[in-house]
Amino acid sequence: MLWCALRFPWSPTEADVPGVAAIEHATHWALAITPRVTRQDEAVLMEVQACLRLWGGLQALQERVAQQAPRLGVQSLAWAPNALAALALARAGQVDGLVAPLPRLLDALPLHTLSALQPHADTLAQMGCRCLGDVRALPRGGLGRRFEAGLLQALDQAYDQRPQAHAWAKPAERFEARLELPWRVEHSAGLMDGARHLLWQLSAWLAARQEGVTAITLHWAHDAMRGREVGEGGELSVRTAEPTRQTEHLARLLAEHLAHVTLAAPVGELRLLATDTQPLSGASASLLPDERQPAEPLPQLLERLSARLGPDRVLRPHPRADHRPEAMCEWRPATGPAPRGDWPAAGPQPAFLLPAPLKLVVRAHRPQYLGELQLLLGPQRVEGGWWDRDDAQDTHRHVARDYWLAWSAQAGLLWVFQTRPQAGDASPAWFLHGLFA
Amino acid sequence: MFSRSDVHPQAAVDALPGGAGQWAAVWRASQLGQVAQRVWPSGWPALDAALPGGGWPGHGLTEWLCSAPGAVEWRLLAPLLPSLAAPLALVAPPQTPHPLGWRVAGWDPRHLLWVQAQSPAERLWATEQLLRANATGVVVAWLPEVRAAQLRRLQVLAAAHEGPVLVCRPVSAALTSSPAPLRLRLKPLPDWGIEVDLLKRKGPPLTQALRLTALPDALAAVLPARLRPGARPLPSGVDHVVVRPAVSLVAH
Repeated sequence: MLWCALRFPWSPTEADVPGVAAIEHATHWALAITPRVTRQDEAVLMEVQACLRLWGGLQALQERVAQQAPRLGVQSLAWAPNALAALALARAGQVDGLVAPLPRLLDALPLHTLSALQPHADTLAQMGCRCLGDVRALPRGGLGRRFEAGLLQALDQAYDQRPQAHAWAKPAERFEARLELPWRVEHSAGLMDGARHLLWQLSAWLAARQEGVTAITLHWAHDAMRGREVGEGGELSVRTAEPTRQTEHLARLLAEHLAHVTLAAPVGELRLLATDTQPLSGASASLLPDERQPAEPLPQLLERLSARLGPDRVLRPHPRADHRPEAMCEWRPATGPAPRGDWPAAGPQPAFLLPAPLKLVVRAHRPQYLGELQLLLGPQRVEGGWWDRDDAQDTHRHVARDYWLAWSAQAGLLWVFQTRPQAGDASPAWFLHGLFA
Repeated sequence: MFSRSDVHPQAAVDALPGGAGQWAAVWRASQLGQVAQRVWPSGWPALDAALPGGGWPGHGLTEWLCSAPGAVEWRLLAPLLPSLAAPLALVAPPQTPHPLGWRVAGWDPRHLLWVQAQSPAERLWATEQLLRANATGVVVAWLPEVRAAQLRRLQVLAAAHEGPVLVCRPVSAALTSSPAPLRLRLKPLPDWGIEVDLLKRKGPPLTQALRLTALPDALAAVLPARLRPGARPLPSGVDHVVVRPAVSLVAH
């Protein structure tokens, strides 16, 4: 068995909200490393023997923990063969409980390092005990009769002479993290530093639950000095196309959305909620390298483009069964579901369409566009759309057109149409509708 | 062994075996250059023969200078599409793309991605993001107002992009220098032709512009014999090839 103790300067029994939140977050962080995590007094304890190989060996794991512990708010940490010994060493300020035989290390520790000894510390001190070794040297029978049974049991457990049972910690059901900003922030871009910290906590929680997030909500509260007309605060919801728990991905997405936000007043506090989560298993590595390795997966790229430009400006075509060229396809946001269905059968079609048909000048019954057009092929009659009504304006988008392929020396191959003469029209009009590219 | 005076310099250069074995790294300016990166065959044999490496280069910019935006780009690009595994991204195309016109055998236009960037800064930003991500097969960006310094930045970023990056610019840009290693001037010709003039490539300058006959498959299926490529040159005058619709037939 190999245990690591992360000791915090706060005790969860004190009604200290930031302390409780920090220990809660450290538990999530530890649960992302190993499923066997327990909380005891002011410390989070994790058993890592079974997952050493996953993290690349003891030394790599120790480096990882030592590097990230200050960010969690850890005061001291220790490694030892059992939980109580690790906690005792952490309280005494020693880090490595693996360098020497455990009894030799523990014997030298002061009495307050074991929780079970703390109520009796005065009595034991009057008996001349200064360290754990002194208590252990006392006759066991007398010790057992004079003090409560828990004392002897804790002592044996710390020295690995009796097994320990633990209540394993579980990640919280829902994620909500709060952060008071160290200073008032007036611009939305300045919220990113705080939000990044919260996102880091979120990713630890998600990793502990083996889940990915598809929607997060960031709330901000304005400080008390705000104007009267300004509300309590604001919020921003961000959705992702695929479940994710990468801090970088979420931070980039949030930054793009925050860039559009104008703060009504300085902000003093942030709150992050995971609104929607889905199970997400880790990616398995492949023995052979992939042929193609995008630096950033396509969904993430599309999200980022959509966040900056707006979702209705990053588009993918969805087929529609219609005969009118402008209705054959519907451009929908690329972050939405993938296009389905078949393309309608049609004759030759141009590669580009004009947003609206451009009326052409007609001279001597011949359409002009950058010079006179030569009509090559046609007509292809397209008629339909009587069902496509616009009730608000009481019009319909019925079209009756004869399409022609035309050649212009300047503009290349064009797709023009002639409206079918209606009653009352003197002559049919010509329109440019597409470019054959 | 040769003494120095024995060998004429030109003969010494000629004696170098070109493009084989240990001399593969030696490139003579009179030869067409080789590229180390993967190339994407353009689908035009005549064009492939003139392009260094035999196709559109990946990991670098290719500049297309078009006399009219949207006039020839798709017809030139179409034969490449079936070989693509990843989407084709269009940044700020001059007109609305019409997916049915982009339909090629073996390629589904649902892989089109239309990025509607408007201002020059947005166009550059979107192109930059696409190049950085390397998640798309081909990026075609219409950048009419791009400056040389910005193109240089794109060229550096394009080195990380596996597929071809095509930058469409107006034909007036041919007068200015550009960091793109490959520059083509494109012009539509009558009789389904595209004139391709290689302004810049790794190799000797092309003496004569290439003429490609680009007839979309969908059109080829319905075209009458008199309009097929090479049937007869289209008259350059004002005469119409087909009978123009008689206005007198209109029923009033």
